[in-house]
Amino acid sequence: MITPSDTDGVIDAIRAAHQAATPLAICGNASKSGLLRPVRAERTLSTSALTGISLYSPQELILTAGAGTTVADVAEAVAAKGQHLIAEPPDLSAFYGSTATPTLGGMVAANLSGPRRVMWGATRDHVMGVVAVNGLGERIHSGGRVLKNVTGLDLCKLLTGSHGTLAVLTEITLKVLPAPERRGTLVLKGLDPTRAVAALAQALGSPYAVSGAAYLPAAMAARIPALAWLDDSVTLARIEDFAPAVAYRTERLRAELANFGAAELLDDAASLAAWAAIRDVTPFAADPAAAPAAVWRVSVRPSTGPSVIAALAHAFDTQWFMDWGGGLLWIAGPATQAAHHAVTAAAGPGAWTLMRAPETLRAAVPVIPPEAAALARIARNVKAAFDPKGILNPGRMVAGF
Amino acid sequence: MQTHFTEAQLRDPDTSVANQILRTCVHCGMCTATCPTFVLLGDELDSPRGRIYLIKDMLETGRPASEEVVRHVDRCLSCLACMTTCPSGVNYMHLVDHARTYIEATYRRPVHDRALRAVLAAVLPRPALMRLTLKGAKLARPFARLLPRKGMFALRLRALLKLAPATVPPASPTEIPASHPALGTRRARVALLAGCAQQVLDPAINEATIRLLTRMGVEVVVAEGAGCCGAVTHHMGKHDPAMASAAANIAAWTRELEGPGLDAIIVNTSGCGTTVKDYGFMFRTAEPGLRAQAERVSALTLDISEYLTKIGYAPTRPAPGLTIAYHAACSLQHGQKVTAAPKTLLRTAGFTVKEPAEGHLCCGSAGTYNLMQPEIATRLRTRKLENIRATGADLIAAGNIGCMTQLAGDTMPVVHTIELLDWMAGGPAPEGIATHGA
Amino acid sequence: MIAQPAPKRDVMARRDIIVAGLGRLVPETGLIADPIRLKPYETDGLSAYRQTPMAVILPETTEQVAAIMAFCHREGVRVVPRGAGTSLSGGALPMEDSVVLGLMRMNRILEIDYADRCAVVQAGVTNIGITQAVQAEGFFYAPDPSSQLACMIGGNVNMNSGGAHCLRYGVTANNLLGLRIVTVEGDIIDIGGAHLDAAGYDWLGLLTGSEGQLAVVTEVTVRILRSPEGARAMLAAFSANEIAGACVDAIIGSGIIPVALEFMDRPAIHACEAFAHAGYPLDAEAMLIIEVEGSVAEQDYMLDRIRDICNRFDPVSLRVSQSAEESLAIWKGRKGAFGAVGRISPDYLCMDGTIPTSRLAEVLGRIGAMSAACGLQVANIFHAGDGNLHPLIMFDANDPTSFHKAETFGADILRLCVEVGGCLTGEHGVGVEKRDLMGVQFTDIELDQQRRVKSAFDPGWLLNPSKVFPLKPEPAAA
Repeated sequence: MITPSDTDGVIDAIRAAHQAATPLAICGNASKSGLLRPVRAERTLSTSALTGISLYSPQELILTAGAGTTVADVAEAVAAKGQHLIAEPPDLSAFYGSTATPTLGGMVAANLSGPRRVMWGATRDHVMGVVAVNGLGERIHSGGRVLKNVTGLDLCKLLTGSHGTLAVLTEITLKVLPAPERRGTLVLKGLDPTRAVAALAQALGSPYAVSGAAYLPAAMAARIPALAWLDDSVTLARIEDFAPAVAYRTERLRAELANFGAAELLDDAASLAAWAAIRDVTPFAADPAAAPAAVWRVSVRPSTGPSVIAALAHAFDTQWFMDWGGGLLWIAGPATQAAHHAVTAAAGPGAWTLMRAPETLRAAVPVIPPEAAALARIARNVKAAFDPKGILNPGRMVAGF
Repeated sequence: MQTHFTEAQLRDPDTSVANQILRTCVHCGMCTATCPTFVLLGDELDSPRGRIYLIKDMLETGRPASEEVVRHVDRCLSCLACMTTCPSGVNYMHLVDHARTYIEATYRRPVHDRALRAVLAAVLPRPALMRLTLKGAKLARPFARLLPRKGMFALRLRALLKLAPATVPPASPTEIPASHPALGTRRARVALLAGCAQQVLDPAINEATIRLLTRMGVEVVVAEGAGCCGAVTHHMGKHDPAMASAAANIAAWTRELEGPGLDAIIVNTSGCGTTVKDYGFMFRTAEPGLRAQAERVSALTLDISEYLTKIGYAPTRPAPGLTIAYHAACSLQHGQKVTAAPKTLLRTAGFTVKEPAEGHLCCGSAGTYNLMQPEIATRLRTRKLENIRATGADLIAAGNIGCMTQLAGDTMPVVHTIELLDWMAGGPAPEGIATHGA
Repeated sequence: MIAQPAPKRDVMARRDIIVAGLGRLVPETGLIADPIRLKPYETDGLSAYRQTPMAVILPETTEQVAAIMAFCHREGVRVVPRGAGTSLSGGALPMEDSVVLGLMRMNRILEIDYADRCAVVQAGVTNIGITQAVQAEGFFYAPDPSSQLACMIGGNVNMNSGGAHCLRYGVTANNLLGLRIVTVEGDIIDIGGAHLDAAGYDWLGLLTGSEGQLAVVTEVTVRILRSPEGARAMLAAFSANEIAGACVDAIIGSGIIPVALEFMDRPAIHACEAFAHAGYPLDAEAMLIIEVEGSVAEQDYMLDRIRDICNRFDPVSLRVSQSAEESLAIWKGRKGAFGAVGRISPDYLCMDGTIPTSRLAEVLGRIGAMSAACGLQVANIFHAGDGNLHPLIMFDANDPTSFHKAETFGADILRLCVEVGGCLTGEHGVGVEKRDLMGVQFTDIELDQQRRVKSAFDPGWLLNPSKVFPLKPEPAAA
């Protein structure tokens, strides 16, 4: 394990690996090592020592920190100034059964976003600048510390979500926003998935800036303390704003959704608790006592969410819930190739990620959708453009790559 | 935008004006979006900015107009939507007018094109001749199907026959120069541009105008010696006949002005109004006396809707419960920037007024455009009528005879705004409406 | 005139054959190759740079685009994609040996889905055309560049266009779901779709803002949003730029993010007022347009808070718009600002740097000093919330020394933006205009990295040549 304390250290480590053509596994605190494919590398390069917030300018909505800074530390710093991380990134430690704390670098490398993504964009939408080291050991900066920047190719977006396969992120600049003064969540009970998605579409298509839109079947809701007492399937629509606006908007939305039943209102504290659980996927938290299961994250056209679920119900015994108004499906099922193929077939033109599974399955199947031939060719070229010897996180996203 | 004229070129006053206009343009491209031909054809060359560039190149090089330049300038409707859109205040109208004159002087059109233009330039401004021609066209209509399917010449002839009305109304007494006294106390005296083609195609418009104004206490004079405003020939680049028509009008109205006096010159065909309001510019290089007269005429000229707004219009009949799709003629909304007045008047008169989507887009009439460019004109007409039908209105009101002719013959009757206003103030119901159960 | 790489001699020599070949790929009216008609295609919204192309081709379908790209790839012909030609950075400047690929005829809206809040449109649909198509149902497409009336979505994608409201709603990249692209070889590829966040590399993010360097965009899936219940603009005028800048900081520092927060200095106020007659305060040194949205009560709540903050800065005047017409006029002035400057100066160069907002007063002060030193007037328009500065340098294009001075002045402003921690371009793109300044912001290593990404898509460097990257020998394919 190499843990450099600055970007130059990362450069040295990668240069050496490049010269020797020896692969490196790239990680932060390795809290998500159960994600995607297992990486075979003798050495591991960790950014965990690249810590610290070097710039935070609340009135400019901008924060810069080392890639190894924990997400919790960043969240705490911005909270002290009444601001928050816009994309509501999840903490998947419990999901992976890891005791490690997620880092900013890991959050960006995996482009993880939570429920607020549906209205306010993904993590990748708020990465304003990065400093990274490519597979040649060269320092690359892209973007900057301003909120609007179209100078040159947007490598920030390319590197965000590239899971350390193109370059190692060492410093990240994020856009942050004022945190809402108040939250409120309307809950409709007892809807079936199709009705629920219709209700959520209406909520998201309302003028009230709904910033969370999820559906949990009763069995899933039962696993979240803030929702268990409702004792039914729950359809949730969240509004975050100034206090008077939350009061006004939840009332208006309640009236607009009257066709779907009488909605209950979760207050600020209950909203915080419920959405934190949905964000962190706690219904599927790792359980060492249970038989190993696989969990998929499937992103589809929201209105097709229920039919994807229905199709899977024929294939195997599923557990699932929906976020993003039906557009994000969290599905748990048997860790078998057959189940995996059923999920990928049901997802159709949508995107899917095998989020958690025993290593054998993750090594055996594509964990993200294969790309069309012409795009796969470009992808190989792009990989070579950053990492010609293929030493950074080989095989993490796609076998042999 | 940069230009490349020599000092010698700039000594020509027309080139100098063109240069000033070109220098105002910053080539931002906003105008492309609201140009009907760009929207339909998707080619920079058929956009205002593209035409400005073609014209700039033609004038800078001083070479005769080429077939390519003529093709794209001819496709311009002169709807002037670009001038409404332009943030820089480019006077596209004056530039394209100049280009047309330049083309007329330096380009030899194919023989059928020349012939058609000559016929239109001769016939349209002369009511008696036009009436005769329309009667002929009516007789010729059955033979339209014998025309070849393709070719610009055949298309244009077909368009010509199609536009000719099925019945040609008899000449109206309003054609004869005369003074129509105010009823009751006279509050004002105005001249009415009786016009040319309009009074042949639809004499009811002038009749309604005179009825309403006289009823409101305004004496209306159709001046001896006034006739066509000159727009028809002006837009064909036929400079001399256009100036002759305009000069005749200026002389006729100046006589009235200096004699019994005029409070305004009223135009109820907005295409003509745009030109009359531009007399001051057209005569900018004339001898000072004439120039001053032209400027005075332009300054006194008002669209009928502007004048009625000024003197205060009020209906006398109860609201008829009709919904109007108000079609904004380009010459009124873009050429004269008269946008609110007609709609406000119609609402005052008791109508519900709907504005069709894409109201800024031309209907394809554009003076003689529907005869010269029938394919584009037909596509614009279809698009316009779809938007109008979508309003669910009972009838169409417009302030320009060209648009009225272009939009006629569909499912909805088309009337002039003034006919509706006259009706609600005590006049007869417009012909199309009477049978419509109102 | 800007330096251009030499035309390819073999391509110029085969001009007639290439033109004839292109002519077989589109309907007759879709090919332009005569010198007179090519002339208007020699420039875009940055008319100071001009070059007549070899041909212009106007396809009507993605398949035609694919055939054109395959043909040009085979023949080694450079291709310059073009939308409405409103680029202010010369993004569509042709080269002598290039074919301009105009996407203006691909102007159809293919699908609108309100339940899933997305629309599929062809590249030649105008930005405002999307909003117009969905507004009857109460929806809109959020990014609103000032040229939105004319600029096309394909160009917006390639320049990652912003606009006055991106403080709240994000730029183009944040409002896209999918693209249909044609590669330089002529392959048609779908990226993304109607869903959020594809797994794998973020091709959508990389292609957005790639200035036509990587592929040709023919179809775009955009997110559409439900319009707020209402919106209202407020004008706050101040006696100095510094004070207006401090007020911006105070508003954002208070936790309020208005949907738009625009700054204009005195020359800009005067030029725009002459065009829009919006009642801008002509006696002020600086003016903010602050817009909030929501129900009337919510607007009042926010405006009250903003008014309190503004009052701490001794405003010259504060005015809240009282009607939709008034708001429209206020925005008409702002959105027509660039053209409106055409009323007070024959020509302008529009800069587009971004700066940390905390440096605003200092930067405006230094721009003012530079303006005085070089003798060229400048009007400043600024997306104050996100630091995107638009100095409009006024000059006379018919005077060569004036243009040269303007170019130098502009470059100095952009260097200043980078110096204070900002960047060369916030939303207009590098294009040809800022190409040679890229070294101010990036190291050679970084530029080579970007070049290798370009090569990964376009090994022969045929797509939109001589833009974005400083001219130098092109690297071999990665």
